[in-house]
Amino acid sequence: MNRLVNRRIRLFLAALTLAFGGLVLRAVWLQGVRAESLSRLGQTQHREVVAVPADRGTIYDRTGVELGLGEQATTVYANPMQIVNPRRAAIAVQRTLGLDANRLYGTLADHSRGFVYVDRQADPAQAAALQKLKLPGFGFYPEARRSYPQGSVASQVLGYVGTDGNGLSGLELQYDHELAGRPGQESVVKDPAGRVIDIQRQRAEMPGKDVFLTIDHSVQANAEEVLRATVHKWSAKSASAIVLDPRTGAILAMAVQPGYDANRYPSAPRDLQRNRTVTDTYEPGSTFKLITVAGALSERLVAPSTRFTLPYQLQVADRVIHDAEKRGAVNYSVSQILAHSSNIGAITLAQMLGRKRLSDWIKRFGFDSTTGVDFPGESPGIVLPPDKWSGSTIGNVPIGQGIAVTPVQMAAAYAAIANHGIWSRPHLVDHVAGGARPSLHRHRLVSRHIADQLMLMLKDVVAEGTGQYAAIPGYQVAGKTGTAQKPDSHGGYATGRYVASFVGAVPASRPRLVVLVTVDEPRGAIWGGVVAAPAFQQIARFDLQYLEVPPDGAPGY
Amino acid sequence: MLWIGAVAALLAGVVATNVAVLRLNMKLDRLGQERADLKAQTATLSSQLSSAASAPRIQRMAAKRLGWVQATSDQTTYFRLRP
Repeated sequence: MNRLVNRRIRLFLAALTLAFGGLVLRAVWLQGVRAESLSRLGQTQHREVVAVPADRGTIYDRTGVELGLGEQATTVYANPMQIVNPRRAAIAVQRTLGLDANRLYGTLADHSRGFVYVDRQADPAQAAALQKLKLPGFGFYPEARRSYPQGSVASQVLGYVGTDGNGLSGLELQYDHELAGRPGQESVVKDPAGRVIDIQRQRAEMPGKDVFLTIDHSVQANAEEVLRATVHKWSAKSASAIVLDPRTGAILAMAVQPGYDANRYPSAPRDLQRNRTVTDTYEPGSTFKLITVAGALSERLVAPSTRFTLPYQLQVADRVIHDAEKRGAVNYSVSQILAHSSNIGAITLAQMLGRKRLSDWIKRFGFDSTTGVDFPGESPGIVLPPDKWSGSTIGNVPIGQGIAVTPVQMAAAYAAIANHGIWSRPHLVDHVAGGARPSLHRHRLVSRHIADQLMLMLKDVVAEGTGQYAAIPGYQVAGKTGTAQKPDSHGGYATGRYVASFVGAVPASRPRLVVLVTVDEPRGAIWGGVVAAPAFQQIARFDLQYLEVPPDGAPGY
Repeated sequence: MLWIGAVAALLAGVVATNVAVLRLNMKLDRLGQERADLKAQTATLSSQLSSAASAPRIQRMAAKRLGWVQATSDQTTYFRLRP
């Protein structure tokens, strides 16, 4: 009997030993051999590294009004593999986020996918309402979103930011490095219920810097309003305007119409998103005559009072060029050549200069290179080098044909004349928060004496020449009209397609503003003095009032 | 027997401290989310304020509702103040 009991005890002990042995081996296996991989698996289930978005810097206008600012948004994503009832989930998303449940259902029911975006940069309150429903398979994380409180004001200048928070065009792209900041990083440990039980900050986020523009939102909005009315009145394709301070090159407005609401940039046609004043070129026509006259005066070939007998038309190589209005031979001074915008007069001056010197003056005025304005994608224009000129080029270029410039180049050239001959680089950004104001890039184009002579001539253009619609009561205005036929794709000129322009400075005795207006393909009238000069007048009149610039006593006022 | 009581009290203290830390972490997370929500609200309100206070918008409304007209340059007088 005892032997039997002892045997059973031994068997029991042996079984117990085996069981313990098995447990020990399992423990060694789990805690020794597989410890690392299991630990990693556990950590991925309960610990996650979360990026903390950095606030993007705000873009302010010169008066401190926000033009572009960062908002916090919530991005909603889902793991369809974990979604139990896709139909219920889609309906819940429709109720909270306002998305189409029918379209969403297919995505949420696709169990082959482990990650799908439900709504990028959703409204935080709406996303919070969805989060409260605690639907399995849904995730949420904060993300920055860009907002443009002024809507369409300066939309082409500001550009836009992509869904990943990177500047994609305009100033958002140009100053992306300063505006973006650096996102932070946190390590979050959660309990099995998903509640956060520990947060370890690995890297603090660094917010982006604010950018302060030279743009004034009131000047900008008014310029856009005037252009909108001009485009409508003349059934034009588009219109653009630049308002700048000739003393510093600070751009107060850079407007293009038609425009678009910056908050709805993805749905805006690409064509409307372009800041044409910087990226697009046009043949300037008669506004370019100023450069020809400036060259002839600076080379001391003529004085403002030097007179020429000018026929109605002139043979230049294989081309016959004539003035805009049919007339007999006239005896014009250099001032009158500019005031009456005589093509024959400008070509006569250019022939005195010769191709080399004319080409040098074009270059000196910056028409073969970018101005360096702080905006991406600036075009240098199209200027033929003198060795590639044909016999008739001397008959085209001095009157602004066969040459393509950007509006910002032309505005900067006139600003230099208004600023007593000193060219200042046009710029849109005054300073970046925490940084010093960048120094002005300036250089002399013509002597003060020549610049003042040119200003007197430009005053005559408005007082008694082609630019009379640009006159502003109480102020002396100096400016020049331009009407240029548009080139076609076959190397010739398109019939009935013109660019009308006007560029001028006010008050002419002490210029505070240079305003350039171009109107693309107006209908009904084509002349710069009829189409663009009134727009100049409306823009400049508002700006002078708004900026409280006292009148300088126009003759007859 | 005393050391058993001391160890028990120590263990209870450790557990209580851990629970308190856990609660604080959960509160920290909640406050962090509240902070983010408030920041979002502030940014949204700033954006709305900026839109509403924009001078061109006010001028447009004043012109439409009240017949406001921008003064022209010949209707404005400037005084030169001498010290």
